[in-house]
Amino acid sequence: MTRQVLICVIFAAVLLSGALLISSSPGTASSLNQEATPIPNLSISDEYCSSCHGQPGQTLTLGDGSTLDLYVDPLEHASSIHGSQGYACVQCHADVGEYPHPPFQAADRRDVTIQLNSVCQRCHGSQYELAHDSVHARAQAAGNREAAVCSDCHTAHAVQDWVDEQTGETLPEARAIIPQTCAQCHSAIHAEYLTSVHGSALTDENNPDVPTCIDCHGVHNIEDPTTAEFRLASPQMCAKCHTDPERMAKYGISTDVLSTYVADFHGTTVAIFEKQSPDAETNKPVCYDCHGVHNIKRADDPEKGLQVKENLLATCQKCHPDAQENFPTAWLSHYIPSPDRYPLVYYVDLFYKFLIPTVIGGMAFLVVLDVSRSAINLRRRRQVTRQPEGMSSTLPSDEGVEAAQDAADSPEAQDVSESKTALKPPPTPANENPEEEADRG
Amino acid sequence: MADQTNTPVESVKHYVRFDLSQRIEHIVFLLSFSLLGLTGLVQKYAESPISQFIISAFGGIENTRLVHHFAAFVLMVVSIVHIINVLYRVYVLRVSWSMMPVIEDFKHLFDDLRYYLGLRKHKAYYGRYNYAEKVEYLAVVWGTIIMAITGFMMWNPVTTTEYLPGQFIPAAKAAHGAEAVLAVLAIIIWHFYHVHLRHFNKSMFNGKFSEEEMAHEHPAELEQIKAGKMDTLPPPDVLRRRKRIFYPVAIVLALIFGVSLYGFITIESTAITTVPPGETAEVFVPLTPTPRPTPTVAPSPTPGEGVAANSWDGTYSALFRNRCSTCHGTTQVGGLSLATYQEALAGGNSGPAIVPGNPEQSVLVQIQQQGGHPGQLTDEELQQVIEWIEAGAPEN
Repeated sequence: MTRQVLICVIFAAVLLSGALLISSSPGTASSLNQEATPIPNLSISDEYCSSCHGQPGQTLTLGDGSTLDLYVDPLEHASSIHGSQGYACVQCHADVGEYPHPPFQAADRRDVTIQLNSVCQRCHGSQYELAHDSVHARAQAAGNREAAVCSDCHTAHAVQDWVDEQTGETLPEARAIIPQTCAQCHSAIHAEYLTSVHGSALTDENNPDVPTCIDCHGVHNIEDPTTAEFRLASPQMCAKCHTDPERMAKYGISTDVLSTYVADFHGTTVAIFEKQSPDAETNKPVCYDCHGVHNIKRADDPEKGLQVKENLLATCQKCHPDAQENFPTAWLSHYIPSPDRYPLVYYVDLFYKFLIPTVIGGMAFLVVLDVSRSAINLRRRRQVTRQPEGMSSTLPSDEGVEAAQDAADSPEAQDVSESKTALKPPPTPANENPEEEADRG
Repeated sequence: MADQTNTPVESVKHYVRFDLSQRIEHIVFLLSFSLLGLTGLVQKYAESPISQFIISAFGGIENTRLVHHFAAFVLMVVSIVHIINVLYRVYVLRVSWSMMPVIEDFKHLFDDLRYYLGLRKHKAYYGRYNYAEKVEYLAVVWGTIIMAITGFMMWNPVTTTEYLPGQFIPAAKAAHGAEAVLAVLAIIIWHFYHVHLRHFNKSMFNGKFSEEEMAHEHPAELEQIKAGKMDTLPPPDVLRRRKRIFYPVAIVLALIFGVSLYGFITIESTAITTVPPGETAEVFVPLTPTPRPTPTVAPSPTPGEGVAANSWDGTYSALFRNRCSTCHGTTQVGGLSLATYQEALAGGNSGPAIVPGNPEQSVLVQIQQQGGHPGQLTDEELQQVIEWIEAGAPEN
């Protein structure tokens, strides 16, 4: 019995500390909000609520004269992730209390949504905090009331589970829903996406390899995609999938696309910018400047595909208005030069692969020989100290030159001072001149 | 670099090896070359941390490229000056083409190899320029031409591809980078060894060679000087006549080179300077939601009979589900489920959760009164539960 109590206490302690951790992690913002959020009166059952709100016809007149429909389809709630797991109406609608409800005022319908948004934070604090850093939250804070809040994407009463809790990955059946969700506000971009190689594969075959909106833009902390930062980081974003050999092999797409891009002028520049000044602007293109942003087409698409010469030229001309017919092949089209593709580049590379070692090797060979000979001569000279040598630097005869050369060998050796004491060259007119000595360095 | 005769100066001890214009050419060339090598190789090996450091020291990649272009301009100017200078020497002064390789150079190389192997007592008998110097000079000439042509192609790709296939541009880039590696390595291994390490040869800076240095480095030339078999200045009237021809030609040449150089750096603006626009589609285009049917306003109903009654069905089933069912629902922590009235009465491992009429015996009340339970009821809720149990805990 005492052991069981002990276990219970430990269990309770663990649970409590876990709860404390979770509630404390989101920081001050959440604790501030929690003060304002009343503790729900959990004795109010869903049946109690639905005895009124489960019947159509309940309305509330808002500040602007519009009516808010207060009907909640009980089936809709019951089939949502919240309803199916037994969460009660009053766990979100914590401040409505029993009937009659305390007065509720809202300027208009949007105001209702925005006012109720903070209730999500109580259980989904970390996602709420992430979303707080998003372009949507910043727009909302700047006064754009249309910017998305939680329920704009997740709905209020029909919230669905989109994530596999085991893997943390988006459920396959949820992938197709994501673009439709974003399309509620971004319908023009969605229309572009649907025509793209990615979007059409998603809608036509629910292809699991193509990106949905969130694979590039993130989920809750959605970044502003118009910043220089986003632009400079975008090649890495595309590369996440396009350098994945497993995924690319299925479609016969090269995984060299990133390395060949970075090896080229454009990519080198963008890569350096990304490393050194990730928030600076550069006019050098990133992947989507050539391939399209949301309307990315297959490379062999007759209308837009970059394997089609005219399409590539038109793409180049967006930034190089004076570019002519030959210009596009100045770009290696993500190929690594070979005898078949871009042979000139391949053979230039090959030529230097032989020329550089040959020339530099030859030079190094002669230098090493010269150093070795000097060292050998120096050693010999030390052994035979002060061997008389007839020398006259001005003598044009072979003998004279030889002597001059021999004498020259000693200062040529690295250890000049030592060689001078060991082997003082025979006096010559030049040697007697102190200025000349100084000149020698 | 055909050169003027070495003439003794001051005493017989020193010989002029390089005149002032040659020394200035060398300094300007070496400065621009070093700057080009530095700012170029960091672009070729951009991923390396050292390159990253140097690029940021220059203030970013765009600045590094500006410096590279500026240094290229300086190097081309000094190359043009050199060409005109050489023309003056060979046409007006008629000095010999002492920089051209001749059969004798190969003999010298052969002799030196024998000397290195110990088959000969001394090095070859060099003239004004030995084979090492000739190789270096010709490598610089070759390299400068290659670098200027490939540099032009990369600087002006639109103009280049008007006349040549596109792949000349990446080929030019490959050659430019490889040639740079070759040149820099040659300078370090060949040039530094011969004129800095082996013996610090200062003649390129002070212009002079002592007689002893001459004897060591260029004995054959020294012998020629001593024998008086040197190029001599032509007579003044011949000089004047040649200059009359040379100067107009030099001016025309300088103009042609100057205009070409101007064209080199200004012929095209390759690309727009603005950032590509990215997505041009309208960002916020909300779909019109399917409107919900306008609700027909009904009179406010009274809450259903039985709801909120002081019974299991009316209040406590919902309270326990909302408050406790995370642990004491399907998971039955401690063997307890509060999902149904019967399960609540049966209780868990510690005994019956609810004993009708007896709150003290009800484990639920005992645990809740200790406080700090993960699913802690509020004081009001607990009081309500106690009163309900005292009332016999009715189910409905």
